[in-house]
Amino acid sequence: MHEIARLIRATVIGLPILFMASMVYPQSDPPTTEELAAQISALKQDYESRIAVLEARLASIQAKSASTDHKAVPASKPSMLSSDNTFNPAIGVVLNGMISEYSETDSSIPAFQFGHESERPEEGLTLGHSEITVSSNIDDKFYGNLTLGLGVHAGEPTELELEEAYIQTLPGAGLPDGMRIKAGRALWTLGYLNELHVHGDDFSDRPLPYRAYLDNAYNDDGLEVSFVLPGDLYSEIGAGIFRGDDTPFAGSRSGREAWSTFARLGGDIGNNSAWRIGGYILDGEARNRAGAGHAHAEDDGHGHDEEAHEDEEDEHGHENGEEHEEHDLAEFLSDGSFTGDSRLYGIDFRYTLAPTGNARDRELILQGEYFRRDESGEYELQEEHEECVDPADPSTCEIHMESIIETLSSDSEGWYAQAVYKFLPRWRVGARYSRLSTPDDAELSHDPHTTSAMIDWTNSEFGRIRLQYSRESLARGYDDDQFMLQYIMSLGAHAAHSF
Amino acid sequence: MKAWFTVLLLLTLGSILPLSAAAQTPIRILACEPEWAALAEEIGGDDVIVHSATHGRQDAHYIRARPSLIAKVRRADILFCSGAELEIGWLPILMQRGARSIVQAGQPGHIMAADHVDVLERPEVIDRSLGDIHPGGNPHVHLDPRNITILAEVLANRLVTIDPSRSSAYHDRLVSFKARWADAMTEWHERVQNLDGMKVIVYHKAWPYLLQWSGLNRVASLEEVSGIPPTASHLAHVLELARNHGAQVIIRAPFEPVDASDWLSGKTEIPVVELPFTVGGHPEARDLFSLFDITLTSLEEIRDRP
Repeated sequence: MHEIARLIRATVIGLPILFMASMVYPQSDPPTTEELAAQISALKQDYESRIAVLEARLASIQAKSASTDHKAVPASKPSMLSSDNTFNPAIGVVLNGMISEYSETDSSIPAFQFGHESERPEEGLTLGHSEITVSSNIDDKFYGNLTLGLGVHAGEPTELELEEAYIQTLPGAGLPDGMRIKAGRALWTLGYLNELHVHGDDFSDRPLPYRAYLDNAYNDDGLEVSFVLPGDLYSEIGAGIFRGDDTPFAGSRSGREAWSTFARLGGDIGNNSAWRIGGYILDGEARNRAGAGHAHAEDDGHGHDEEAHEDEEDEHGHENGEEHEEHDLAEFLSDGSFTGDSRLYGIDFRYTLAPTGNARDRELILQGEYFRRDESGEYELQEEHEECVDPADPSTCEIHMESIIETLSSDSEGWYAQAVYKFLPRWRVGARYSRLSTPDDAELSHDPHTTSAMIDWTNSEFGRIRLQYSRESLARGYDDDQFMLQYIMSLGAHAAHSF
Repeated sequence: MKAWFTVLLLLTLGSILPLSAAAQTPIRILACEPEWAALAEEIGGDDVIVHSATHGRQDAHYIRARPSLIAKVRRADILFCSGAELEIGWLPILMQRGARSIVQAGQPGHIMAADHVDVLERPEVIDRSLGDIHPGGNPHVHLDPRNITILAEVLANRLVTIDPSRSSAYHDRLVSFKARWADAMTEWHERVQNLDGMKVIVYHKAWPYLLQWSGLNRVASLEEVSGIPPTASHLAHVLELARNHGAQVIIRAPFEPVDASDWLSGKTEIPVVELPFTVGGHPEARDLFSLFDITLTSLEEIRDRP
């Protein structure tokens, strides 16, 4: 009986060994005794190491229970009981309020269309942009985020804006390593600031190119694919396709009229400083993109621009019988509704230096972006035209709207550069200069520019108070001294900061 | 402008070319803190390439999610961190951006030290007014050398899982490390006994594991609310505690602010000692062994002062 048992055991152990040995060299000649011996010893080693690992595991369990015995403070593991709350998504709220004082009455930029978001904040006490974010991993493959912005503009009902509503693949989604897909509405990859919510900025308002080109930020509906390449240096490429309904685009017909592409590079310099540069293209079409500047012209015009001002005076005195008044091209560019192609090129850089390695104690951040926008198409101005049957009797007059179209190809540039220095753990100072170069067509001899300085105090990661002074020169003879005192506080979940 | 873009694109593509396809590709380990990098060197030896996201004089709570770290996560086979939300401000974004599947939670390449040891100071009340607290408990688990042993085993296990072809090498290094570590712990244990429960004042609550293992007694913390600099009234309270309880030494990590501890030391003549806290926190704390050696030596020097 013992012999049979031994034979069975030998077969059971031996057969798999022979089988595995034959698997190792399936195509070679029958192995020599030495080779077999070597293979068997390799197998033996393999088994030994596996046994050793098991032993190590056992030892670790023992050590763990032993160390528990020594510890005075028992660690209470979280209870695994699940309730409805357990799977609630993370909720974060950002509260933002401001008091500001300006020396000029208006802040539109001659020769640039100007959207609602990018106006300077209301004067006096005002709630800025409050925000509610709900986010969570959906399952092992997707992450979802919904961000609602509550915009308050004086004399208007509170505006609920869907800032972001997107899903994004998680690294477990089965895509190749380094690849991510984001779909929905999001603050897309474009320059440095576009991906940030405004409360994450280092200054109280966005720099001029963001205000003029993107109405603060581009968050169209769309889809973006990005891929981090496997190099020693950080490098990422990506592309997106978008609906084409958010500034700088408008009136999408097919619902897929804009696209973007980008590339980024980044790395460290020594232990305590890091850098990143990027290049971006955003291209699409606009149909009847109207500037909010139109409404302004109705109010009190560009009271700051001498030339435009005089023109407007003429314009409003529209009884002089002329068929068409003279409109300068700047007026088409800012007040006209635009239909045509719009392409934006951008480059950005950012450099951070923490002298001690601890950005929390002391840190210098240099950052800059440059944009160039090429637009070509038709600018349409609506003009009021009064016709009277009997010039002496106003009741016989009728007002007609007449449209005047100008076909233009306008190229313009905008950039900013800023430095922010944290000199004490809670205190930072910063300076920023931003500038737009007006399209040549506009024949304005003035380039809008703004110089800003700020100081802010950060009590904790969740609360910040900032004082900012800007001198904004948007047109010749217009110098707006702006003081803004702002708080930014966040409640609840707080997203991790990117670089 | 277009030329600029092309140059950038070429640079970007060019940066991935130096990918060498060595026969035996080393396992890439990204450690969040230098102590885990040091442990990875001990167990991985020449079979691994180890990077640390932070250096010895950095506070691992507050690190920027730098582009270079995204690149490191992108290629890492193992991510070795303290966990318990120490890295919550930057690690999640790196893991998401680097999008490397093997280092995600639940995968063999994901090691959070606090998941494998008993965590101290798990808070019962969680509220932001208590400062930047960690719901998962105190994450600085490496300052109890017994935890190092546990993590050495965890790491060896994971290396074997990920890279079975070199399992015997990992095993041999684990055995050797454990033997040397056990010897060192025996020696440290004696030295700790002789410290005889020194009374210490700490800055941040970074030291409970060291205190528990070494039997030192904490009299007070200079930082009352975690992550928020101490207030004058709290400092006055600490001053009182320091005097009443006869505190012997003020302990400070290299990345902690000096003003509060210097002020207290000036008022009370209690000496301040900067302990390395982690590998690289002192020029001579080059590995885990010297980390504990120097920590104990520094405390012994204070004790032996006339």
